[in-house]
Amino acid sequence: MADIRVTAPAGTPFIEVEREFDAPRDLVYRAWTDPKLIVRWLGPRRLQMRIDYWELGEHGGSYRYIHSGEDGFEHAFHGSFHRTTADPYTLLQTFEYEGAPGYVSLDELRLVEAGGKTICHIRSVHQTVQARDAMVEAGMSEGMSDGFDKLDELLSGELAGAR
Amino acid sequence: MHNQMVIYTPPADQLSVIFGALADPTRRAILERLAAGEATVGELGAPFSMSQPAISKHLKVLETAGLVSRRRQGTANLSRLEPEALHEADDWLERYRAVWEERFERLDEVLDELQQEP
Repeated sequence: MADIRVTAPAGTPFIEVEREFDAPRDLVYRAWTDPKLIVRWLGPRRLQMRIDYWELGEHGGSYRYIHSGEDGFEHAFHGSFHRTTADPYTLLQTFEYEGAPGYVSLDELRLVEAGGKTICHIRSVHQTVQARDAMVEAGMSEGMSDGFDKLDELLSGELAGAR
Repeated sequence: MHNQMVIYTPPADQLSVIFGALADPTRRAILERLAAGEATVGELGAPFSMSQPAISKHLKVLETAGLVSRRRQGTANLSRLEPEALHEADDWLERYRAVWEERFERLDEVLDELQQEP
């Protein structure tokens, strides 16, 4: 079955995630780029996800979406898309959690088809190694900024939902 | 169910060096002491019936692993814990991985449904 491979090379600001999907690449790409589909999986099960705006054209665009919990807490995320027709199965986007403004990562999605299956490669590049570590650790250590405390709540919600 | 695998790629085999450093009980005790604050070689050696050169040798191993750093203050050589290095040996990516695991399980469901469409 499908393994998730998560890599965070020491001393670099990267996080890489790799996973195989039992579906053709066109479909996987559709699930990543169609806002009607993305709301069905990108958020944690316990939170509602809604799209504020999601505009993706030939060369890019922008997005903003919101996760809201039963407690009324809302967590919003926004960023820009970049893409090129030369490589139609690669999507670049910036990602910013509005609870931690100024911390922006650049996420690259690359889909590779292999025998009817699709391998999805994601690479997040953070501004600094420290920012990456904070993103990974958010909430695991105390004394984080308010923004990261909120991210922690969000992530705990996601974890609880996964069980 | 999906199997999960978390893979770390620390600098060229730094992980083995860290695990090697952690394998010794005296060195683990030194790290525990340093978690409470900086200390001199003499202070670190006090709980053990060990010579200062022997303690220094252990410190050298911990330094090579990046777990401990040393600085001079006056005539004293102070050692301090470098907790970041423990990330390599820790499962600090676990929560991040779990977030993606849930997302991907949901994405699997969406893809299954899409493939069943006529």
